[in-house]
Amino acid sequence: MTDSVPKRSGLNSLFQPRAKGVLLVSLALLIIAVVAVPWPLQPSAPTTRRFTMVSRQFEFEPNTIQVNQGDTVIITLTADDVVHGFFLDGYGVKMRVEPGQSQTVQFVADKSGKFRYRCSVSCGTMHPFMLGELVVGPNTTFGRAVALIGVVAIGVTVYLWKFPLREPGESTTEVRSKK
Amino acid sequence: MIDQSERLAIIALVLILIGLPIAIFGYQYGLRPALAGVRTIDIIAAAPEDGGFQPDAIEVQKGETVRLRFSVPDVTHGVAIAGLGVDLGHIDPGQVKEVEVTFDQPGKVTFYCNAWCSPNHWRMRGTITIIDPADPDAHRRIEAAPDPVIESLIEREMDIDAPHDAAISPNEPVSAAEGGPLVENYRADLPVDFFDPLWLQRQSPAEAFSVLKETLPNLTDAQRWNIIAHLWTDSLAESELTWAQTEYIKNCAACHGETGNGDGPAAAAINAQLATTAMNNDKVASFAPASPTMGATTEIYYAKLRRGGMGTSMPGFGDIFDTEETWRLAHYIWRLTFAPAKPSPQ
Repeated sequence: MTDSVPKRSGLNSLFQPRAKGVLLVSLALLIIAVVAVPWPLQPSAPTTRRFTMVSRQFEFEPNTIQVNQGDTVIITLTADDVVHGFFLDGYGVKMRVEPGQSQTVQFVADKSGKFRYRCSVSCGTMHPFMLGELVVGPNTTFGRAVALIGVVAIGVTVYLWKFPLREPGESTTEVRSKK
Repeated sequence: MIDQSERLAIIALVLILIGLPIAIFGYQYGLRPALAGVRTIDIIAAAPEDGGFQPDAIEVQKGETVRLRFSVPDVTHGVAIAGLGVDLGHIDPGQVKEVEVTFDQPGKVTFYCNAWCSPNHWRMRGTITIIDPADPDAHRRIEAAPDPVIESLIEREMDIDAPHDAAISPNEPVSAAEGGPLVENYRADLPVDFFDPLWLQRQSPAEAFSVLKETLPNLTDAQRWNIIAHLWTDSLAESELTWAQTEYIKNCAACHGETGNGDGPAAAAINAQLATTAMNNDKVASFAPASPTMGATTEIYYAKLRRGGMGTSMPGFGDIFDTEETWRLAHYIWRLTFAPAKPSPQ
């Protein structure tokens, strides 16, 4: 214990007042960056994405499609059994497809968010449940959350390693009990 | 003793029990037809498993005008009447479409569903028999008239349903477009038969290829196939082509596929079913340039379109397309084989 005290006090006297502040500020900046700064993974140039979608009683396949904001989306829809429809909420994209007669629609995904697409031609008993989802925009929320947790975890570890809340034998209670 | 209020109650009860049905049914069966002026026939168009067209046999008098009202209870159907140019298009569940038709000729016309609605879609047909009161047998005589092309095939002892695989077929892609200039270049050398429509519709491409091999020995095989592709696809005018394309998509593509490769959405189920039958291990026909198509002839296509393929899932369209329309479709099949339409650029 007598060995550790001078070491710590030496370190403290050299770095502590500034180091603590620097560490806290840089941590705060990192957290802000992770949460607020536009994600560098966002693709710079919008691309054209093609999907081949099959509609049948009572599903779309695929029932989830994901694009980035600004992408041009081309959906080729075919029907497997009876006449189906396709209506994309938010964008108002509409098609009607008959077996043996595929339909293609093209639009620019300029609105971000999740948009339901549904069968718009009554196709049988479970018709109201024939749904799918278009996800527009990069899924950065998950990445940001992971990065945030990582930054906070590393920051707390470094902080606690550098500036322990209490050292054995140095805590106030122990000091008090000694005296 | 019945007092005033009880008497009123009895009158109200009688009105509800008797007056209400009289009002409803009286409107439906009395007032409404009287207001309509013409005979109205309500037809429910359900999938064939659920009864198809109800009713599916209608009788009218020659010269009579009837109003046909179609309603749909299950999935989207389409309604067209063959030979009259009536196509109501899609009818969605909950929708009612009606058409007024006057029948001038005695005979039998078919109304049919033209939107793929079930594996049994093609069974969804109904008939309207037009009876001439002055000549009550007229419609039967017309009905019984045989098809001259099929008669001729039978006379020549051609088996319409026999497999027609050819021994030779092109190994590389065939181009009808490249065949055009070749035909012009060798017009003098080509056999006269090659410009005879009747000969062409009775020959298979493989037979014509053998003839070409003898008459033009200095050509390559690819050039010979290109010449054949051109000759076999050259018979349709632009408007006929558009018509055939539309009808093919509506009536054939669900099984044979949009580009004729036998891969339509209904093909898988039919192929699975055909695989289980002992009599025939065949599949939904592909019109790709391979041995079965190289051995086929236009008149065989015509016959199959007209009366169906026995032992296969190919339905007969003889009630729906007249002879000229059937020829158009038969010729159009060669387009799918030799000059497939390029997918429209997106």
